[in-house]
Amino acid sequence: MTYRLTCASSLLLGALLGSAAFAQDDKAVTIVLSEELELIDPCMASQSNIGRVLLQNISETLAVFEPSTAKLLPKLAESWEETEAGAWRFKLRSGVNFSDGTAFGAADVVHSLERAISDQISCEIGGKYFGGFEIQAVAVDDTTVDITSDPAQPILPLLMSSLTIVPEETPLEYVQTPVGTGPYEMTERNMGTNIVLEKRDDYWGEAPEVAKATYIFRSDSSVRAAMVEVGEADIAPVISELDATNQDTDFAYPNSETTYMRLDHATAPTDDRRVREALNLAVDREAFIGTLMAQEAVLATAVVPPSTAGYNPDLKPYAFDPDRARELLAEAKADGVPVDDEIRIIGRIGLFPNDAEVLEALMAMFKDVGFNVTLEMLEVGEYNTYYNRPFAEDRGPQMVSAQHDNAKGDPVFSMYFKYGSEGQQSGLVYPELDEMIAKATAATGDERAALWSEVMTSIHEEHIGDVLLFHMVGFSRVSPRLDFKPTIATNSELQLSQIGFK
Amino acid sequence: MKKFIGKRAVASAISLVGLVIMVFFLSRLTGDPADLYLPVDASHQAREQFREINGLNDPLMVQFGRYVADLAVLDFGNSIRQSRPAIDVVLAGFAWTLWLACVTMLLVTFAAIVIGSLAAFRVGGVFDRIATFFSLIGASAPDFWLAIVAIVVFAVNLRWLPTSGTGTIWHWVLPVSVLFVRPFGLILQVVRGSMIGVLSSAYVKTARAKGVRNRPIIFVHGLRNGMLPVITVIGDQAAGILNGAVVVETIFGFPGIGKLMIDSILQRDFNVVLAAIMVSALAIFLMNLLIDLAYALLDPRIRY
Repeated sequence: MTYRLTCASSLLLGALLGSAAFAQDDKAVTIVLSEELELIDPCMASQSNIGRVLLQNISETLAVFEPSTAKLLPKLAESWEETEAGAWRFKLRSGVNFSDGTAFGAADVVHSLERAISDQISCEIGGKYFGGFEIQAVAVDDTTVDITSDPAQPILPLLMSSLTIVPEETPLEYVQTPVGTGPYEMTERNMGTNIVLEKRDDYWGEAPEVAKATYIFRSDSSVRAAMVEVGEADIAPVISELDATNQDTDFAYPNSETTYMRLDHATAPTDDRRVREALNLAVDREAFIGTLMAQEAVLATAVVPPSTAGYNPDLKPYAFDPDRARELLAEAKADGVPVDDEIRIIGRIGLFPNDAEVLEALMAMFKDVGFNVTLEMLEVGEYNTYYNRPFAEDRGPQMVSAQHDNAKGDPVFSMYFKYGSEGQQSGLVYPELDEMIAKATAATGDERAALWSEVMTSIHEEHIGDVLLFHMVGFSRVSPRLDFKPTIATNSELQLSQIGFK
Repeated sequence: MKKFIGKRAVASAISLVGLVIMVFFLSRLTGDPADLYLPVDASHQAREQFREINGLNDPLMVQFGRYVADLAVLDFGNSIRQSRPAIDVVLAGFAWTLWLACVTMLLVTFAAIVIGSLAAFRVGGVFDRIATFFSLIGASAPDFWLAIVAIVVFAVNLRWLPTSGTGTIWHWVLPVSVLFVRPFGLILQVVRGSMIGVLSSAYVKTARAKGVRNRPIIFVHGLRNGMLPVITVIGDQAAGILNGAVVVETIFGFPGIGKLMIDSILQRDFNVVLAAIMVSALAIFLMNLLIDLAYALLDPRIRY
């Protein structure tokens, strides 16, 4: 009797404690991120995990870019128009309040922009989207803002989809409690443990279904996947391909990253077009798909993903043709190009899954057609000295393994940096290409898309800018109780309002 | 005794000063934090601005002088990553690690002493063989493998325990168990070896001849003399956990000082690295002092 009583009590206690540990509220979700948010300031929301917590959940923007339709939709701004070249007038939504109770208005937009580009605080949004040109905002009245840029930025409304709006009172230092106009507010932050967002009752827009979201942090991919499997978490936005083993819960999505080998057009032998073509023809890209790269990865013909304006679907990846590659090398050698010089492949440790193996395979393919290549895998700090300008004068022939992210839908965020003669990470030096990029940057609408298409075609066909490899995919695990499918946007944000329950 | 403690404190303080100087300058050799904090697309102007804001543009000696002056008023500087005082960041992590180390080492010490002593009592017996077998496996098992296997078995397949985290007492079971295994195996072997020597000594034989029962022989007469080398190893193992159980903290999502220190080194968050080293060094100094006092308590011949 005593034994049975003990067993029954133990089971009851276990069930109670167990349920306390693992229970999920009906309308609450738990999201497990890969690292803790060290900062939670809205002006840092361009960092993936910060964006997943803040963007459109706590902090909203004037406009929102929708990758599926490639359209810019109104958010805190109801409309906008270009009043003259480089000058835009935004009409703001009225009746919007921040989570601290203050009313949203034009002065908040002015302050948010000034804060993002201020030299008193190192805001990533400012450096990433508002660098390299002058920009100024002026409040016309409570619901009207004029924003001017010099030189003119035809995509200024798109740029405003990156600017998180904070109250006018937000100081010029990182805040620990973000305040925004979004449908959620941060109610708890336990350093090292979790962040809790709860739905606001006074949100200006449609009320989302998720009432509460708890963000927890686990750096090990297998643990994140296991947490969703056993019901401790509902979404793991990023898991490794090796852990994505359940077809019912695991999703592959284009993550807006493109991998490529950057070529140096200013140093022999890669300054010769035939050598660059030979490098491209030497690579059997299909052999990587489903082996070292995910089955869903797509062969790239541009450094931006296919959802980007001006992407040319007619461009074809270079076919695997080692014989032609050998012929081209022989022709170049006959003309005195030093094709036997050693070319260093510079890789960055941990840049993408299986990066070392991919680079070793590439090295073998280049060697097979006659190139003299070596591989160096470097830690990020040292790698950046090769990746960013100014490049060393005596650098010698090199190819830099690189990955570029552009989820913003416009090539302007990529082309100057990657292909301009003075671009920070550009290996190309062609004045005529600079002019094409400048012309596309200044254009609007359909003309803009057409000009970007010409730029990408020129880089791929005429200049053979790089050895383009793959548009990458990410993997997420989502609980079967949720109605949510990750998209390309999941790489930078996770809108709770898009999550439903089955 | 007071003189001894004073001497140890002065010696430790000198070591700490040397350590801080060394870490301050060596950590600066790892590179520019702007390379890691700013996006790769960041302009030179943005990088320059970042360095200016964080005081990284000044000559190294100026930076060091400023650090020492701030330290004199117990200002450890701010964490670049978290934009809050480095000492707050470190103490928050250290509290978790201290709890983890205390719980683990209490369990390890108790289990290793009891089982090791019993194993030594009948050397070569079944109990001794089983204890030795499992302790050797424990002493050589890699933490990361044990942690992943424990999650797969107990959290995913059996669903008895949570995978990770810190919410309830159940969340502590797997991390403590994984941390337990290696020091348990090591300390058990030391206890066993030490007790074999003690239990074969003349005074134990005399006690047996006088009819003293086994339990007092092992745990009263034998253990006190056999504990001196064991305490040294316990101190060493505890220091290892106090410095951070990096693998366990990483896999189980424990926000301790080990993972914090590794992340801070990788991210070049210099102030946090220095604060973490100072806090860890202080804790280890205090623990070594306690070990010295324990020696004196166990062996009346040792006097300071």
